[in-house]
Order: sequence, then structure tokens, then C-alpha cells
Amino acid sequence: MATTALRRSGTGQRRLGTFLDQNFKYWALLPTLLFMAVLTLYPVGQLLRLSLSDAQFIKGKLVWSYVGLDHFTTLSHDPVVPDALRNTLVFVAASVIIEGVLGLLLAVLVSRVRRFAWFYRSVFMIPLLIPPIAISAMWRLMYDYNYGIINQILIELGATRPPLWTADPDLALASVVIVDVWHWTSFLFLIMLAGVESLPHELGEAARVDGASEIQVYRRIFLPLLRPTIIVALMLRTILAFKVFDQIFLLTGGGPGTSSEVISLYVYKVFFVQGRMGYGALLALITALIMSVFVVAYQWLNSYVNKTR
Amino acid sequence: MSLNNRRMSRRNFLKGAAASGVLLASTPGVSFAEKVSSIHFLRRRAQIETITILINDSPWFPGFEALVKQYVETTGNDVKLNVTPFAGMLEKSRNAVQGSESEFDILNLNEQWYMQFYAGGLVTPIHDINPDFELDPNVIEYDAATRWDESLRYSSPDGALYGLPINGNIQLFFYRQDLFDEKGLAAPTTWDEVESIAQTFHNPPGMHGFSLRTIGGNWEFQAYLHSYGTSAVSLDLASGEWMVGLADPGAVEALKTWLRLGREYGPANINAMGQAENLALMASGRLAQVHMVGAAAPNYDNPDTSVVVGKMGAGVVPGGPGGRATLSGIWVMGIPHNLSDVRKASALAFLEWALTKDAQLYYAQSGAIPVRQDVYEALSEDPKLGWWMKAMGESTPFIKAQPRLAETPQIVEVIDRRTTQALIDELTPEEAMAEAAKEIHQILVSGGYTVKPLA
Repeated sequence: MATTALRRSGTGQRRLGTFLDQNFKYWALLPTLLFMAVLTLYPVGQLLRLSLSDAQFIKGKLVWSYVGLDHFTTLSHDPVVPDALRNTLVFVAASVIIEGVLGLLLAVLVSRVRRFAWFYRSVFMIPLLIPPIAISAMWRLMYDYNYGIINQILIELGATRPPLWTADPDLALASVVIVDVWHWTSFLFLIMLAGVESLPHELGEAARVDGASEIQVYRRIFLPLLRPTIIVALMLRTILAFKVFDQIFLLTGGGPGTSSEVISLYVYKVFFVQGRMGYGALLALITALIMSVFVVAYQWLNSYVNKTR
Repeated sequence: MSLNNRRMSRRNFLKGAAASGVLLASTPGVSFAEKVSSIHFLRRRAQIETITILINDSPWFPGFEALVKQYVETTGNDVKLNVTPFAGMLEKSRNAVQGSESEFDILNLNEQWYMQFYAGGLVTPIHDINPDFELDPNVIEYDAATRWDESLRYSSPDGALYGLPINGNIQLFFYRQDLFDEKGLAAPTTWDEVESIAQTFHNPPGMHGFSLRTIGGNWEFQAYLHSYGTSAVSLDLASGEWMVGLADPGAVEALKTWLRLGREYGPANINAMGQAENLALMASGRLAQVHMVGAAAPNYDNPDTSVVVGKMGAGVVPGGPGGRATLSGIWVMGIPHNLSDVRKASALAFLEWALTKDAQLYYAQSGAIPVRQDVYEALSEDPKLGWWMKAMGESTPFIKAQPRLAETPQIVEVIDRRTTQALIDELTPEEAMAEAAKEIHQILVSGGYTVKPLA
């Protein structure tokens, strides 16, 4: 009896060992999955719960009360959200397109430079190294209508009515886009430079021997090869641009009126300034959802490009 | 740990004795019985611990820092300061009261958010710390900013004492005294006079007749509302109902005056004028009149940054058909609920000392805004500070409160947004006030208040 029991036990252990060995790849992922669940899923779950609740500090304690879909009703009446969403999309489109084009052009030009290439790379990286708060403060001074250097130069050049920049509702968002382009083009430049420098230049040489012009070489050979790099770079930049906060906060505060209000800044105001944590959580979730759509679209585009190469 | 369980060391006894001496010396008008009561309290809590104060890095901070140094030197009690930019104050304060024990013994709370801390019980009522505490009648309460009435869910004179004022920011009307003297003009008392004087001086870009704040300008705009006999929101104490005043015809008139003065006599970038921009314009000698925070005054006296040193005058904010008003934008200091008794008593010891007349005189002379009427009166003839201290003292009867509700940040956001939409011609003044009234009405209804229907 005892021998049979031991045999059974030994067989069970062997089966368990075999099961563990065969599925080791899944067990190896378990710590990472648990780590992600704790650090990502739990906070997102809490945010979701908060978006269906009101949270208030009463007698020193945080009290949650379930409000169902009440915050969706608030959202439907909120006059700021449509403006903030529209401005965010305009900001993302304008900044990512301009920075993408400039970043690619600079990458191509710098890759062709032989002398002082290190100098150009360093110079173009400088804006990326400066803290956004310092950049915004610097540009705020430069944009100042009365004392800013930009208008001083324009007046010297003969302008009688220099632009109001951040004080003009039609120019406020554009003023922030200019600062963003100055700041973030170097990010795209760096990624694209890495892509350009890893291109098989012998293909270009062969095309030139066959009589292709320089523009044709870049358009027909290098640009298709660079597409995956460009897509990844633009995806990263889109995600970052969607979360723009510091520049708007410091340069315009979202104004005049709501002319430069963006969704991240509005979430901050609702959540931290107004203390409406439940509604703020809903806005944060909506922002995350919209960004997810962008990420999925880029991923689809990336896989499509890879398939068609 | 309760106070009575702690042994009194020689050092602590000396601290208590020193603090008692300071209190006796600095309160000549206090009766003997009151002095004995206070000394008894100070002795009882002679086990004073080092306190940490969360304080904002605002223009008046050097004055507060000097006051703290004076306290440390006078009493031997230690104080640490956690100096934080204005933008981070609310978050740090909230975080402090959420934990099991606050890292700060005193929170400096702005008038636009202190009510969240009073209403939530996040700061301790002063009489829970010292039942014998009496607030000196010379300490200005700024339309009951120190108090909270739980039944009304509002600051009222009958409410419990939750905070003590530390910075008496109110609005003043600043003008170029030298230019006024040349033209034989007196300080304006009405918006019509402001406009008339603005016409006299307006000669852009070298000189602007008037300017106003349009970034976060709700605070100054509310003075216009009061001067036209209305306010953003008000509580009918008899019926307990809230009223939204922005639907009143007076609100539209107030906005029209605000817009006219800003557009016609302000700088070209009037849409983006914050406090700093207005201050720079006046300090650079390019502005004749401005309605702004009283705390700006020391900046005009700084020869390193101002070309108008000795040329400035200040007065009570002018008014309209509804009278004159200056909005308070003060800071109150609260003691977090999540502290030990000893820490609470140590914090209150500092605040009591800081509100004495001598301490407040020193505070004012160090560049801060005092909170005692007798200090304003004492300094009204001061050769350096008198020009604006006198105006501060004269403004006390005209002090009006901002909306003091947990929903205040939402309400002022609406006012800021709608007034600037009118400024940039997105909305007419009538539309701007009507939309603002609707939104604020909805905010109050959603907050569970009984609100009178909009007209």
C-alpha cells in the first residue's frame, strides 16, 4: 500500500514537472504579467471606478460614492470639452506634421555633411536637453508684446502693429505650436537620422549609376525604406503631443477664452484645481481612449507597410 | 501622546516662559485675566516641538521668512519652512491631510480653496486645540474667512474658527501720484472718474490710461460686480437659498465697464494681462492707473525693478452705483487634523505669536501684508510704507468675500472663461453673463445647494 502510494506520488510529481517544463515560457512571463497588473491594470481599474464615483474628503477621510453615469451627463453639458478636444487635435496634427517634415529634412541634410557633422548633431539636440519649463519661460519672454525680442525685431523691421502672439485668440495656439516645433523637432531628427544612416547606400549608388536623379533616389528608394522608422517616430511624437501640458500651461494657460485650451490642461484643472476627481477621472479615461485609437492606427499602418515592403 | 503625559524639560520650560513673556509684552491692551489664561495655556503646552510650515513662494515670502526668524530668536522654538511655488500648494496641502500623519504642522491655505479644508474637517478647529483661545478684535477676519458654519456650509461670522489669517491681501487702486499732482487730480472714487482720468493720460504705447487683469481676472472682476450691486453668488441667510447674481442686469453693466476700460485705455495685449504684466507696465512707467492686488505695492518701491519709486499713490478701489468693494484674496493658516496634540499646540503657539501687534508690525516692515487694523493705522504715516498702508486700512470696511464654497474653483473658472470670451468678442456681454449664470447655477444645483431659479 505504502509502495503504491509512493509510486502515485512520484508519478504526480513527474506529471507536474513535465507540465511545468512544457509550459515554462508561460510561467516565465508570470512575474512580468503580475508586475504589469499591479502597476498598470490596478491604477486603470481604480481610475475607471473613480470615473463612476464622486470622491470627497469628509472629516479627513476620502469617501467614495457611486454616481453611475452622472459624469457622462456632466460631460455632455461641458462647454469646454469640445473646444479642448478640437484644439488638441489641431495641435497634434500641426506639430507632428511640421516636426516630422523638418526632422526628416534635417536628418537627410546632416547625414550628407562630412565636415563638422558632430557639431550639427550637437546643436540640433540642444532644444531637447532644455527642461520644458525653461523653454516655456524663455518663449513667454520672447513673445511678450511690450518687451519681447520678437516684436522688438519686427518693429525694427518696420512693423507698425506687431502680432499679439499669445494674447491673440487666433494666434495663441499657433504660438504654442511654434514653441513645440522648436522643442521637439530634434527628437524626430535624432530618430530619423538613425534611420537614414542605417540605409543601404549601395542601393542609392546603383540607382544613380542607372541615371536616377538625387530626388528620385530619395523618393523612390530611401523614403520607402524609411517608412517604418518614420511611422514609429510619428507615433511616439503623436502620443507625446497629445499629452502637451507644460507649454500651454505656461504660455497661455489655455486662453484667451478657450482658444488654446487642450484636454490635458483641462483634466489638470478639473482634477487638481477644481477637485472634481470623479469627473476628472472620466476625462482622463477618454483622453487615454483617444490616444489608444491613435496607437492602434499607427500599429496597423506599420504592419501594413511592413507587409507591402 | 497627550500633553499631560510628557515631562517638562528645563529647555521646554524656558521656551514656554519666553513665549509667555512675548505674549505679555506684545498685548498691552489685553486684560490681566486674559493674559493669565493665555500664559496658563502656553505653560501647559510648553512641550513645543519643531514645526514645519507649508508656505508659498509669493512676493511676500521674504516678510514671512523674517517673521519666522524673529519667532525663532524670540522664543527659542524651531520652525522649518517648506517653500513651494503657488502652483503646487493645493496639491501638497491635500496630500498632507490624506496620510495618517501630516508632514506639515501648518498649511497656508488660499482663499479660493480653504473651504475645501474647512468643510472636509481637514484642518482642526482652533478651539479644539485651545478652548480658551480668543481672537484679538484687531485681527481682520476678512468677511469671516477664518470661520466655517457647518449648517450653512459656508463661512459666516457665527461659524467655528478654523483658520487664522496670515496675509491680508486685498485689492487696491494704484495710480501715479506725480502725474495726478501735475494735473491737480484726486484719486478716483468711481469707475466714471477712472475713465475720465484715463482719457487724460492715455497716449499709447508710451503711456496707458488704465489696465486690468485678464488672465485669472475673476478676482478683480468681482469688485466690478459688487460695485454694480450684485455678486457672482450670494446666500440669502433668511431663506437659506443661494442666488446667482450674474443673471442680474448689474452684472452685464459691470462687464461692459470692465471691457470698456480695458479695451479703450489698456495696452494692445489686454487679452493676456496677468498680475505680472500689469505690475511690469506700471513699474516701467507706462501706466497711469491700475486696480490690482495690494501686495504689489512693495514692488513699486524697489529701485532695482521700478522707475516709479516715490511716485505712486494708492487708494480704495473705486465703485459704481452699488458702492465700492475690494475683494479679499487672503491666505489663512490651518492646522491639519492628522497631527498629535503636541504638534497642534506647537503650531497654534506660532500663530498666536504671529498675530500679535508687535509681530505684525515687524512683519509689515519686512515686506509682508499684515492682518491687523491697528497695524495699518500705526503705519499709515510711515514714510516708506504709509502711502499704501493707509489705503489698506481705509479699505477694510469695503472688503467683500469671494464665493467661499467647495465649488469656488469651478465658479471662478466659469467667470474667467466667460469674461475673456466677451473680451475677445466670442460672446456679447449679455451672452457671456447669461451663459456664466447658467453654468454656475448648474454647479450649485449639482452640489446639492438650494438655489433660486434664474430670472
